[in-house]
Amino acid sequence: MSLRDDFQPKWKLLLKWGWLSFAVFILMAPTFYTVYISFNELGFGAKYYNFTFQWYENVFSDKQLIGALGWTMLLAIITLPIVIPFGLLSAKLYKQSTQKVWIVFVLLSPLFVPADILASALLVFFKNLNKFFTLIAEYTGIYSLDTWFDLGIMTAVIGLIVYTLPYVFVVIMITMARYRNEQTEAARDLGASAWRAFWEIEFPQIRAGVFSACAFVVILTFNEYTRTSLLKGGFDTFTSVLISQMLNTGMSEESYAMASIVSLVAVVIVSAILILTAINTEELEKKTRIVKEPNK
Amino acid sequence: MIIFFVLPLLLTVVWSVFERTMFWMEPAFTFFSYENFFFSSRLENFLSSMFHSSISVVCAFFIGFPIAIFIRRRVRKVAQHRVMLLFILPFMVSEIIRIFALRPILSRNGVVNSFLMDMNLIDSPFSIFVFTPTGVVIGEIVSFLPFMIFSTFLALEAIPNYIFEVCADLGVNRRRMFKDIFLPLAAPGLFAGSVFIFVNGIGIALIPTILGGPGSVNAGLIATQAIIALDFPLAMAVSAIMMFTLMGLLYLGHRLFNLTKLLEPIS
Repeated sequence: MSLRDDFQPKWKLLLKWGWLSFAVFILMAPTFYTVYISFNELGFGAKYYNFTFQWYENVFSDKQLIGALGWTMLLAIITLPIVIPFGLLSAKLYKQSTQKVWIVFVLLSPLFVPADILASALLVFFKNLNKFFTLIAEYTGIYSLDTWFDLGIMTAVIGLIVYTLPYVFVVIMITMARYRNEQTEAARDLGASAWRAFWEIEFPQIRAGVFSACAFVVILTFNEYTRTSLLKGGFDTFTSVLISQMLNTGMSEESYAMASIVSLVAVVIVSAILILTAINTEELEKKTRIVKEPNK
Repeated sequence: MIIFFVLPLLLTVVWSVFERTMFWMEPAFTFFSYENFFFSSRLENFLSSMFHSSISVVCAFFIGFPIAIFIRRRVRKVAQHRVMLLFILPFMVSEIIRIFALRPILSRNGVVNSFLMDMNLIDSPFSIFVFTPTGVVIGEIVSFLPFMIFSTFLALEAIPNYIFEVCADLGVNRRRMFKDIFLPLAAPGLFAGSVFIFVNGIGIALIPTILGGPGSVNAGLIATQAIIALDFPLAMAVSAIMMFTLMGLLYLGHRLFNLTKLLEPIS
């Protein structure tokens, strides 16, 4: 990355880079600090720093936490195969549609609706749906309908789909923007079915975006608290255990370790995606340059 | 999305006029929940959270807009997205963790106060950083600043380079460039970022709960507390008010700035 010389003194450019780096540092400071404290044997506020893995060992021997990790993973595994195809279809629909405003409005609005408000609305919606289905079960005698919208995995997954779909849509759309539809048209002209044209021509080119979207869904599922805690029913998720520990006993050393695990996993995955994307883009640009200017 | 997002939010208007029962609600047509909201201290809390969110929006503008302009103007085209990606990292760490971790950083014996005292800049630690409205504003900025930078950068990215070149050729000074080029052309992004920060500032209960102290209440917290107290019509009335505020702001923004322009660079 290099600075652009635009008739500006170098110190001014450095000052601006400094401001940008300072903003990133401030945004990341809470995460860095959590990780830093999580390795201190003496915990927060101590005068001395003794490096230890003790708090991590405690976390991994906590059965409640391991159970919560399992439930959170299950939510992510169920959400993924539903939300990714939805995101793909939405991005394709957006590209082809003339009514882009409405598609964007419906798909991106959940980003703007605060978690507590959407969660409250969904909670009351599911409770009403449950009453409606109980009535249907009574009339039809199909009693399995009774528990369809009981608070549990299904309602939590629906909440997560509504929450993660805008992110999936945006990530896939960014990758799809580079894809030229003429390639699909050519494949179809040569006799390929719509599915084959998508799977063999389009998908390999947007694969990076789809895999990034998958990673984002898993990370967001592990980070999400408000919607899941209201809609999950009886089981515990990773963040609900973390929050209950934080609110009941304050930030214990184990809380710092738990928070660090989630944060570090997210940071490592996202960094890996960013680095791979950067390398891919560079290679793509190099290839384009070679095709455009073969003699250079 | 229509069934599980649009419909539940629209139905909040219907449920908000229902009557409260012991554990649930029953169909009726009463504005009791709205009276309960508008003629109590809840309105005062709501307005005060709006005020704090507005301060966060202004702060995010002053911090985030120069960064977005800098990335668009001074960073090479190929590197612009990579620099923007730096702001994705904090966004991917749970908001709860980031907000909770601000407590030990900003508290009386936290990192900031210790640093200021070690540098001999202050004699006694500041206590205004947490459990005060200042703490809420700091929490909102740390949580939502990346969104202001993303949306503003997206708007700036749509400006063709020749506009900057023409300005440079004509000798346009920085102030005029800011007033006549950056500000009007980045307006859709600035508006989207501001709405996001404003609405989430008044709607996310976590920030005032963790950083705001006892008197700090916003719409999200009112709705959550109403649900805990099994006052579902009140929770729905608050949700409906929030939804109308959001829709009104987005409609206004779209009429004024055409917000779909924001997606042009990525579609």
